[in-house]
Amino acid sequence: MMIFSEALKEKIRSYLERYETKRSAILPVLHEIQKEFTYIDDEHILTLEKDFGLNRVHVREVVTFYSAYLTEKPKKFRILFCDSVSCHIEGTQKVMAKIEDFMSSYKKKEKELPFSLEGVPCLGVCGGAPAMFVNEDRYLNVSCDNVEAILKKYDH
Amino acid sequence: MAEHKILTEFEGIKDSRSLKTYLKHGGYQALAKAFQKKPEEIVALVKESGLRGRGGAGFPTGLKWSFIPAHIKERYLLCNNDEGEPGTFKDRYILELSPHMLIEGMIISAFAIGAHKAYIYTRCEFYEEIKWMNEAIDEAYKAGYLGKNILGSGFDFDLDHYIGAGAYICGEETGLISSLEGKKGQPKVKPPFPAVAGYLGKPTIVNNTETLAVVPWIVNHGASAYKAIGTEKSAGTKLFCISGPVKKPGVYEVPLGYPLKDFIEKEAGGLRDGVELKGVIPGGLSAPVLLPEEVEKVTLDYESMASFKSMLGSGAIIVIPKTQCMVELLKVTLDFYHHESCGQCTPCREGTGWLANIMKTVMQAKAKEDCYDKMYEVASHMEGRTICALSDAAAMPTKAIITKFKSELLNYLRRG
Repeated sequence: MMIFSEALKEKIRSYLERYETKRSAILPVLHEIQKEFTYIDDEHILTLEKDFGLNRVHVREVVTFYSAYLTEKPKKFRILFCDSVSCHIEGTQKVMAKIEDFMSSYKKKEKELPFSLEGVPCLGVCGGAPAMFVNEDRYLNVSCDNVEAILKKYDH
Repeated sequence: MAEHKILTEFEGIKDSRSLKTYLKHGGYQALAKAFQKKPEEIVALVKESGLRGRGGAGFPTGLKWSFIPAHIKERYLLCNNDEGEPGTFKDRYILELSPHMLIEGMIISAFAIGAHKAYIYTRCEFYEEIKWMNEAIDEAYKAGYLGKNILGSGFDFDLDHYIGAGAYICGEETGLISSLEGKKGQPKVKPPFPAVAGYLGKPTIVNNTETLAVVPWIVNHGASAYKAIGTEKSAGTKLFCISGPVKKPGVYEVPLGYPLKDFIEKEAGGLRDGVELKGVIPGGLSAPVLLPEEVEKVTLDYESMASFKSMLGSGAIIVIPKTQCMVELLKVTLDFYHHESCGQCTPCREGTGWLANIMKTVMQAKAKEDCYDKMYEVASHMEGRTICALSDAAAMPTKAIITKFKSELLNYLRRG
């Protein structure tokens, strides 16, 4: 059984008291768990029920509804590239193809790939299209010319 | 046209987000003024100002406030800061410039509707913006603008910041309420409207960030000063955010009624060199696309947009260059709605899926020429048949693109 750290337990308890109902704490608590473990698994959900009284069905429906919660361990660096309309107009497809090329170079060198690439809905920064995140770092005006340099900063 | 800087007052000002700067520029004076009035006087003031919801629907704000039943005392105010309509990035600009303007607007609005607790609901990808907002809330608590007996008025008010988890549907006001209750972000059947039974079944007002942030200015300058800006039915200024191949994409504040053509030419610096215009999506992805000849004539207000069968929406202007393939654009549009449908209502869950699947076959050159007529028919059956407007929001741009770009869509199939 995965044990939550004392600091995490403390955070969970404070969220449980923070809102009008305990159930409102589910989203922020899951954000905290994911921050600590990088993803959320069934043991976390069962621990929330057993130790903190959050119904497992209530928690699981939140985990599976919202795209921010991951149920499998992610790569060290997640590239989230906006593929909504503004970014698409400004070249998302080309830049994503460039990123895929860059990622396939790892295969050739037989190095372990630390990146994953996903197209995601609008990131709310369309003035800097195309936009992408690498984990929590936001990059604007990403282009075929600058994307490789950005990614190389993460794996050097 | 006179320049109005209401929401963008803090543009170009150093350290604009801090309480110190906000106070130096007259911040929190509207709050002091508001406390001199009765709550119902503020509701009346906002009604008179003609302010309409800036999130997309354009519903009169003061009227929404007045729907709260008098006999229920536990009430909530929620700020919809879940900015996610593709093309929209104007609310984040308020957080970047002056989060205290939003806080002050929320305290006044809560006082007006008799709420003692409010939440700002922000999308989780706004990492930096969340930090800025939290810092401003902390500052406001420390300075006594939030908490017990604010400015000695006897009014108690708590403000908390709630972070979403990546679901477009939570920008729909009842979806937002479900999410804040710790549930799937599924919209609820209306009526009852949130003003009657919202968060935890209590009267709840959900307003967009921009709507709330303008309230201090209205209190400071009066309803008639606000009404004097804009057009008769679309009062005031609005933030418009423009993206696509223009020289200066970004957020600009103009009076409602401002010509779209001028906005593209003057505010955004015109199209980038060598770019020709194919069309403009004027109010976020859900708004039906306008052709260049329509762009020449339309103005940025609710009525003019409606007369061209489109909508002002969130004020997100997406410029489409001639080189953009409309088949691709329609596919990207429908993939979005299919991904974001919450799945509750069959016309939306199935409809967005069917439309996205048909577009997949179009792109694989496996579709027949009548597929667009099928899509139009499916889209027509998705309108007005669901709990919330996401289904309509998928149907409207689909129908507009099929109607206005039919020959290009057909040519795509004929070319193989």
